[in-house]
Amino acid sequence: MEQNKIKNVFVNGAISPIFVGEAIAKHTNKKNIGAHSIFLGQVRCDLIENNSVVAIHYSAYMEMAEERLHEIRESIFKKYNLICMHIYHSLGRVEAGGICLFVFTSSIHRKDSIDACTEIVERIKNEVAIWGKELFEDESFVWKNPA
Amino acid sequence: MKITILAFGNIADLTGKSSWKITCGNNTKDLLQTLHGEFPELHKVKYVLAINKKLILMNTLLNDGDTVALLPPFSGG
Repeated sequence: MEQNKIKNVFVNGAISPIFVGEAIAKHTNKKNIGAHSIFLGQVRCDLIENNSVVAIHYSAYMEMAEERLHEIRESIFKKYNLICMHIYHSLGRVEAGGICLFVFTSSIHRKDSIDACTEIVERIKNEVAIWGKELFEDESFVWKNPA
Repeated sequence: MKITILAFGNIADLTGKSSWKITCGNNTKDLLQTLHGEFPELHKVKYVLAINKKLILMNTLLNDGDTVALLPPFSGG
């Protein structure tokens, strides 16, 4: 059932650790789940040509990104035996140390949730129209290179 | 052919705008020629096109009213 819903993925600013904790807590009544897998992307304070990254500003081609995220959800649900899947990505400014991506998969046994979580993260990075702008202390910036 | 152009990331920095209308021929090769004429710096950067949110990999016919997005390499996550 869950795979047919179009979910709201984008969050303004950083994803709070409290939100992550509450997301885990919401699953205590789903007693058929035996494994959760979580990926948290965090903004790193990179040093680029002696300039420290203080934050990343995320922007997206929203309509295209949402469509692709929906396709990814559908194909991952088809490929793996998952009970649920949650994806959240930041938009706007996230300070270094803040969480910018939260992928959460749950399954009966661990392999499905681990493999699905890894594949979702890779597909988001490669296929979803999101861009990060690395902001420096002196207010200059560079567009983030795909990793 | 009247097309809406959307630009993102460093492409929007380069063009100085993120959404505008353009008149061009009926295919993406022609559209790119028009865009590169207006913004020669586009030759130096990497990007792909999406027509009405679908990525295209080769010269493609355009229809009046299409939206073409200029997408630099994605860097989310």
